[in-house]
Formats: sequence, C-alpha cells, structure tokens
Amino acid sequence: MRKFIKIIVQIAVLCVFNELGQLIVNTFNLVLPGSIMGLILLWLCLYTKLIKVEWIETGAGFLLMYLTLFFIPTTIGVIEYPELLSAPGLYLMAAVIVSTMVTIAIAGIVSKWLEKKEVHREESQ
Amino acid sequence: MLVAVISLVGTVLLFLAMMTLHKKYPTPFLLPVLTTTFIICILLVMFNIPYASYMEGADWISKLLGPAIVGLAFPLYNQRALIFRYKVTIISGLVVAMIAGLVSVFAFLKLGNASETYILTAIPKSITTPVAMEISGSLGGISPMTVVLVMVAGFTGAFSAPLIFKICRIDSAISRGLSVGAASHGVGISKLVDYGEQEVSIGSLSMGISAVIGAFLCPLFVNLFM
Repeated sequence: MRKFIKIIVQIAVLCVFNELGQLIVNTFNLVLPGSIMGLILLWLCLYTKLIKVEWIETGAGFLLMYLTLFFIPTTIGVIEYPELLSAPGLYLMAAVIVSTMVTIAIAGIVSKWLEKKEVHREESQ
Repeated sequence: MLVAVISLVGTVLLFLAMMTLHKKYPTPFLLPVLTTTFIICILLVMFNIPYASYMEGADWISKLLGPAIVGLAFPLYNQRALIFRYKVTIISGLVVAMIAGLVSVFAFLKLGNASETYILTAIPKSITTPVAMEISGSLGGISPMTVVLVMVAGFTGAFSAPLIFKICRIDSAISRGLSVGAASHGVGISKLVDYGEQEVSIGSLSMGISAVIGAFLCPLFVNLFM
C-alpha cells in the first residue's frame, strides 16, 4: 500500500514536469512535444540535485515498465487509415525500410570513426 | 458508457496478458504493442465499434504517455557517466544519424511523389514511438500511421543490422549500439542483446538522446525544406 501511494505521488511529480514543459512550449511557440521539454527540465533538475533521484525513480520505473501500453490506444487509430495498404502507403513503408538501412550504415561507419578519434585523443592526453 | 469502461479495462488487461506471453516467448513478433494492437483492431472491426467510442474510455490510458516520456530522464540520468565518457562520439554520431535518416526518407518520398502529409508522417520514423507520435502530431502528420512506420523501422533494424554490420565492418560496441539505437529504437535494440550488454546500454542511451535531438531537428528540417 505504501509503495502504491509512493508511485502515485511520484507520477504526480512527473505530471508537473510534463505540464511545465507544455507551458514553456506553448509560451514560446515551440514546435516541440511538451513532454520532451519536461524530460530536459527533469534531467537538469536531477543533474543539479534540485530534485533527488529517490523522488521520482519508483514512479518513473513504473511508467517506463508499461510505456508501450500508453501509446496503444492512439496506434489503434490506424484502423481509420486503410490507405496504408494502398500503393502510396506501401511505397511509404518501402521508403522507411530503405532509409532505415541507409541510416544504420552511415551512423555505424561515422560513429566508429568518431570513436577511434575520441579514444585516441584521450590516450594522447 | 459500458463500451468506454470495457475499452479502458480491456486494453489494460489484454496488454498485461500479452506482456506475460512475450516474457514466455521473447520474439519481436510477440511484442505486446503489436499483439495488443492487432487483437483490439480485429475486435473493433468484428463488433463494428467505431474508433471514437473505443477512445472514449481508452483515451485515459494515453494521458500517462506525457509523464512516462518525462520519466525517461531517469535512465538518461543514470547513464550520465557513459554519456560524458563518449560525449563527442555519441552526440555527433546521433546528429549525423538523425540527419541521414531525415534526408534519406525525404529524398525517397520526394522521388516517389508522396503527398506532403505522408512526408510529415514519415519524418519522425526513427524516433522511439511515444515521442515520434507526438512529433508527428505537432508537425501535421498522421500520428497512428507514424506509429506503424516506427514499427517498420524497428523491425527493419532488427532484421538487417547483422548483415549491415558485416558489410560495413561496424564492429565496435559503440558504433553498433549507436547506429541501431538511433535508427531502430527499442525494437532494434532487442536484437542487440545477441551482441552484448554494452551494445544494449549504448543502444538505449542513443534511443533516448536521439528522441531529444529529433524533437528539435525534425521541425527544423521541415521548416527548411518543406
């Protein structure tokens, strides 16, 4: 029971950050999900020790364990778009497949090169 | 009212059952998000329930998405030592990955004369689903369709990564984790388990940071090129 209350209270803290992020995004007219702004704010608060990890870890851990559940209702909205199985829809999926493979190759090659440089620089220091 | 309650409770219970099933048979095809979505879609069609009536109840579940994304700050904070150790590689590598993903998908879709809405829908495809969905919505794309494309990107990574690693000689834990985490998020990372623990932590770290980078770069890209 105490754990249950702890989870609820900690989720409430996360909600506050989410709303705060939303507020900032709206105020400055940013094209950025409010939740991402909330994530950045919380990370900064944790880093500067304004917020203790113990104040959010149980709630965050709980939400992250069930993260995929929270976007299922929106995903089901796909039944309203049967066009995904039409020719342009299939082309869209093909473009995503090719683009993903290109991205993995480029990101892998570039980061391997960057990593060598960074490790090399550290060793020479 | 009854449909709303059943939608809400039914979705949660079905998801929990599917989680247990996936734990027993851990293959990407049985990911709870896939099985749950698939079963509910079939039920809605079978019983002729409009999506709007389903959402009356189920939309309450979506309300936890925002706080859950905020909660990602927790694992990203825990991994700060790893981030600072490889900061140049991770940050520049992820920016390159994001740009490569944006430019390539944009080029292919332009080439195929895809509609503007489709392009906006596909732009966030390499970002982890909850964030991709929000970005798609704020850009003017079709969020549920974006979720399907994100899944496609995830499965592409999970299945093609071993071959790409071999061809391009991507052989370090950092480059493997970073490339798959940045292009194929959670579904791709589940494949990295075959390589090792360091690949997985770099992968999840990359997924989290690219969600933040992508949230800034996607709207910027759209502003510049569309």
